[in-house]
Amino acid sequence: MPAVELINVSKTFGKKKALDNVSLAVEEGSFTVMCGPPKAGKSLIFRILVGLETADEGRILLSGRDITDEPASRRNIGYVPQSFALYPHMSVFDNIAYPLHLAGAPREEVARKVDATVAMLSITHLVKKTPDQLSGGEKQRVAVARGLMKDAAVFVLDDPLVGLDYKLRERLMDEMKQLCEELRTTFFYATSDSLEALTLAQSFIVLDDGRVVEKADVLSLYAEPQHVRSLELVGFPKANVLQATSAGGAVDLAGLKLAGPDGLAAGAVLAGIRPEDVRLDHSQALKTEGTVQIIEHLGSEIVVYLDVGGSPVTAAFAADGVVPPDLDSRIPVSVDPSRIMLFETASGRLLGRGRAGGAVHG
Amino acid sequence: MPQRLRTTLYYAALWLVSLIFFAPVAWIILSSFKTRNDILATPPKLIFSPTFENYVDLFTRSTFMLQLINSVFLSLAAVILAVFVSFLAAFCFSRFKPKGTDFLMFLLLSIRMLPGPAVIMPVYLMYVAFGWKDNHIGLIFFYAMFSIPFSVWILKGFLDGVSTRFDETGRVNGGSWFHVIFKVVLPQVKPGLIAAFIFNLIFVWNEFLFNFIIGGVSTQNIPYALAVGAYADGGLNWTFIATLTSIYIVPPVLFIYFFQKYLLVGMTFGTVRGEV
Repeated sequence: MPAVELINVSKTFGKKKALDNVSLAVEEGSFTVMCGPPKAGKSLIFRILVGLETADEGRILLSGRDITDEPASRRNIGYVPQSFALYPHMSVFDNIAYPLHLAGAPREEVARKVDATVAMLSITHLVKKTPDQLSGGEKQRVAVARGLMKDAAVFVLDDPLVGLDYKLRERLMDEMKQLCEELRTTFFYATSDSLEALTLAQSFIVLDDGRVVEKADVLSLYAEPQHVRSLELVGFPKANVLQATSAGGAVDLAGLKLAGPDGLAAGAVLAGIRPEDVRLDHSQALKTEGTVQIIEHLGSEIVVYLDVGGSPVTAAFAADGVVPPDLDSRIPVSVDPSRIMLFETASGRLLGRGRAGGAVHG
Repeated sequence: MPQRLRTTLYYAALWLVSLIFFAPVAWIILSSFKTRNDILATPPKLIFSPTFENYVDLFTRSTFMLQLINSVFLSLAAVILAVFVSFLAAFCFSRFKPKGTDFLMFLLLSIRMLPGPAVIMPVYLMYVAFGWKDNHIGLIFFYAMFSIPFSVWILKGFLDGVSTRFDETGRVNGGSWFHVIFKVVLPQVKPGLIAAFIFNLIFVWNEFLFNFIIGGVSTQNIPYALAVGAYADGGLNWTFIATLTSIYIVPPVLFIYFFQKYLLVGMTFGTVRGEV
């Protein structure tokens, strides 16, 4: 039985359809990451789930029980909001103990639980302070601690690391992962950061413009994204998505010809290529040239931003023993056509992969 | 001119202005310790042998305790009622944003600009007709009614500054609305509550007109006593005026002294709230 289930949930604000028939399930004991561009409806799904907003249509189940009409105060969900919302008039200890105090837990139990949680998050030294004395990362951990205090079946974390500096994010991501393993409960986590999603997720829900576009586990989502948004959101550097046209089963990608999957209809298509599949030589079947515009050295990896026939293309390769090209130089570029994913322009759905030999037909 | 001299002159001028403004207050306080002859002496006596005779006289007047108790009771009761009602009203305006909130807020503020005498006649007729005249409850309701608009206005500003995320955290963790309003939000607008409290307290404490017209013998307060008791024995009763005034100004002075930082916050409508 899934820990959380949303069935055909829709929500409209004025004329804007914020959530369009969203159905999703979070398996018990999983770390599920909901990933999507900003404003895709991630926070709204969480707010509906915890009861701060009501859905226009659809049902919400918590461990199989219908909670659609229950008030927020009675849903047993641990919630870490995007804004920490720590009470400024309470000490850190009281902030963390807040859900327990509200539930009327006895004093010893409160002390025991808070002590255990602050130790786990290594914020024991902060409990006597007030929220305004804390740094961003400390506040974040206090908010997480408070969210975890409830004896909840599922914990919902709404992009809790947003706005924190890079180093801190990395450390907190590791802590979060450890926490999930220690607690063995269900985590439902939203983020718009690709790296964060990849680090934390066991399974993915990809959201785009109020719709669930893909549900998959982390490996298959990366290897075989079924939607162009999944390809764009998951992976770093960001995948290349180029305009292409198809006619007679062949695809024309900026002058390069490749064969499309069987049954490809004529019209505009999107071609998705992961940066690591772009080679800066002519070793692959589809060959062209590009101008180097930016080079980023990421230590183990080098990322080259190219201009290929007017379209921006990103290439990434292991830095190991490779001499990076010069800026503004024209260099060879090639791609294996079977590494090119073709998506329908209107729906964003995967049509299939390219094949060599398009030139023969075209 | 050397810098030092300029600074000295500057402060001397400031002191002079302050002293001129403070002189009447000093005169009345000093007078409360003088005999009637000393008060009226020309030239005024700065050096005199202080006497507590006036205070003893005042405290033995049959009506004084009634007036003092009335002043304290009417002010506190009306203001506590007003601040409580205003807080709840402001919470609703701030959180549920009923249609026409902006217009209603404007209306509330403009009602505050209405001078009391403008409504004294209809209010008087109403109170007489309903039999509320010379009644403590009637006066308390009137003062509360007069204090609520401005308090709602001040408090809404403060409540708007408290993120609804706090409310939501309370609700998600199992808190009732009662809990959210009084345990989550209220502690965060304490400066606003204190500012509203003091503003209204000063208003009711100083209120004479309505106490005189729609109040009566049993509800008489200190301003009423000052007006009614000023003339005695065919002249101004200076010792009475001086002594009563001296006592009268103590509570507001103390309140303002202890809560002046909140008063500043209230006067700037919460814009410097962060500094409290």
